Amino acid sequence: MTTPSAGESKGTRALAALTDLACGSVAPPDPVRLDKGLQALSVRLAAGKARRTALLRWSMVGTMATASVLGILWFSRARQHAPLPPTLAYRVEGGSVVDGGYLREAGNGGVKLFFTEGTEFVLMPGTRGRLRTVDNLGARIAIENGTASFQVTPSAERRWLVEVGPFLVTVKGTVFTVSWDTSKERFELRLRHGQVVVSGPVSGGDIALRTGQRLVVNLPTNETLITEQKPEEAWGDATVGPAPRAADLPQERPAAEKPAERKTIKATPGASLAVTAKVEGEHGWSEALAAGKLDRILADVDRAGVRATLEKASSEDLFALADAARYRRRVDLARGALLAERRRFPGSARTLDAAFLLGRVEESSERRLAHAIRWYDEYLAAAPTGTYAAEALGRKMTLTSKLEGNAQARALAEDYLRRFPSGSYAGSARALRRAP
Amino acid sequence: MTTHPSHITLSLVPGIDRARVSDGELARGLMAGGTWATAETWRRFAPMVLTMAARALGSESEADDLAQEVFHRLFRRAKTLREPDSLRSFVFSFAVRVLKSELRRKRARSWLSFQQPETFVDLASGTLDIESRDLLRKFYALLDRLAARDRLVFALRNMERMTVEEIASSMELSVSTVKRSLAHATNKLSRWLESDLGWVDFLEGRGWR
Repeated sequence: MTTPSAGESKGTRALAALTDLACGSVAPPDPVRLDKGLQALSVRLAAGKARRTALLRWSMVGTMATASVLGILWFSRARQHAPLPPTLAYRVEGGSVVDGGYLREAGNGGVKLFFTEGTEFVLMPGTRGRLRTVDNLGARIAIENGTASFQVTPSAERRWLVEVGPFLVTVKGTVFTVSWDTSKERFELRLRHGQVVVSGPVSGGDIALRTGQRLVVNLPTNETLITEQKPEEAWGDATVGPAPRAADLPQERPAAEKPAERKTIKATPGASLAVTAKVEGEHGWSEALAAGKLDRILADVDRAGVRATLEKASSEDLFALADAARYRRRVDLARGALLAERRRFPGSARTLDAAFLLGRVEESSERRLAHAIRWYDEYLAAAPTGTYAAEALGRKMTLTSKLEGNAQARALAEDYLRRFPSGSYAGSARALRRAP
Repeated sequence: MTTHPSHITLSLVPGIDRARVSDGELARGLMAGGTWATAETWRRFAPMVLTMAARALGSESEADDLAQEVFHRLFRRAKTLREPDSLRSFVFSFAVRVLKSELRRKRARSWLSFQQPETFVDLASGTLDIESRDLLRKFYALLDRLAARDRLVFALRNMERMTVEEIASSMELSVSTVKRSLAHATNKLSRWLESDLGWVDFLEGRGWR
C-alpha cells in the first residue's frame, strides 16, 4: 500500500503499515516448493485421466453392478438406521484456539469447548491442552499438563480421543475428569458415568474402566491403582448435578496460586457452565489486551502503583500487563511483570512462557542481548519441546551470530535445522551454515 | 550382405528450450494436450498465483491448495482458451475467480457454523518476530470480516499494485464498482483500526513499519 501522508488518519497509516508488513512477509516460492506442487498436480491430473478411462470401462458393467449395489445398500440400510452424523462445530469460552490448535486461556476460569451435539470439554485454569482434530466423527484433544473434565454425549457413530501425557483415553458416551502432571509423571482419571479405555505405558495392556472407578498411574514408581468410588465422591465436596460443571471439578492449580486468587463457590445442580469463580484482584486485562486497550492497562497500573500491582495482580493479569508494557516499549515494567510471574507463581504453566518472553524483552536493548540468550537457554532447558522452543532456539542462534560471529552460531543452526527443518528460522539457519 | 552408403544427410538439431517458448506457443501446446506445456505453464505462472494467494489469504498452505485448484481447472479447460497470446492474463483471471470463490466459501462456512473462525497466519519468513506475527494475525482477522469481493479488490489494489481498470477487467466488474468496493474496504479497515488504538499506537511506536 502506498505510504500515506502525515495528514492522513492514524487508522489509514496503520492500515498502510499492516498491508506493507503482509506484503513483505510473503516470500516467492522456492524451487523445492514449486517442484512439490508440480508433482502433486501431475498426480492429480493423472488420477483424473485414469478415473475418466476407468469410468468408461466400468460403465459397461454398470448395469450389472447396480443390482449388486442396490442389494448392498438395502443390507447396509437395514443394519444402519442412523444417517451420517453432521459435521461437528464448536465454540470456545474463556480462551481461544490459536496456531497449532493450542488452547490459550484468556481469563482465569479455564477454557471450555462446547460442541453442537452437546459434548463439553472443560480445561481447568492453568491446564495446557491442544485441540488436535475435529471432524464429523468426533474430536481428538491433547492434555499436556493439568486437569480437564469431559461430558461426552453418547453416540454410536462418534469417537472421542483424549491424549493425556503418554496415555490415550478412548471415549464413547461418558463423564469423567482426567489429569496429567508432567513434572511428577502422574496420570489420574475419575470416571463418573459410562466406560472408557485407557492405553499407554501400563502393564497388562489397555485398561477398561467403568462407572465410579478411579485410575491412578504413577510412572516413576511404576504403580497402577484402580479404586472404586461412589459417583458423588469422584467430584469432591461439590454438589453432584446431572453433569460435571467447571466449578465442581477438583482444582489442580499450583498451590502458590490457589488460596490467594480463587474463592470457592458452591455449585448448584443445573448451574450454568459459564459460572466461574470470581477472582480477587482480577482486572480483566486479558480482555483489554485483546481489544487493543493497552493504555488502559498501563493507566490502571500507574493508578494502583507498580509495586502493589506486581505483588497483588493475578497470574493472568501479570501476563497481560507484560504484553501491554512490551508493546508500549515500557521495558522495565514488562520485565518486572514477567519476573513477578516467575517469582509468585513458580508452578504455573506461564512461568515457562515468561522465561521466553523475558528473552524478547531483553532483546529490546542492544546492551542486554547476552541476558536474552540466557533466558532463551533457560526456556529451552525447561521446555525443549515447548510452545516457543523453535522461536527460542531461532532467536538464540540469531543473537549468537550477532554477538559472537557466524562460527559460534553454526552449531545452533545445525541443531535448529535438525529439530525444526521447516521452522521460521530455517532459512536463516541454512544461510548461517553456508556463511564463511 | 552388402551395405550401401546412405545419401541422407544427418545433422544434430538442438532441443527446444521450453523456457523460451512464447506464451502463445505455450497456450497452443496446452490446447494440444502436451505434457511439456503443463509443466512449463506451472513453472511460469505458479509463482504469480502462489504469491497473490498467500498475500490475500495470509496462509502459504492455503495458497498451495488454491494453486492446485487453479491449475487443475485451467488444464482441464485449456481448450476453451480463445486468445492463446494472452495466456498470462487468462491464468491470472482464472486465479482471481478461484480465489474469490474460496473467500466466499470461507465466509459462508464461518457463517453457517455459527462460530467466529480462528485466524491462522502461516506466512513463512525467517525474519518475522512474535510481535509482527501478532500484527499479521490482527490484520488478517480484520480482512476476514470483509465481504469476499471487497477483500479481493483491496488485496489486488494494495498488495498486487493493480490499477482499478486491471482489477475491473480480471474480476469482470465495472470500474465504478471496483472504486466503490475499494473505498468501502479501506474505510472499514481504517475505522476498525482506529477503534483499536492500542495497536495503532504500537505501530506508530515501531515507526509505522
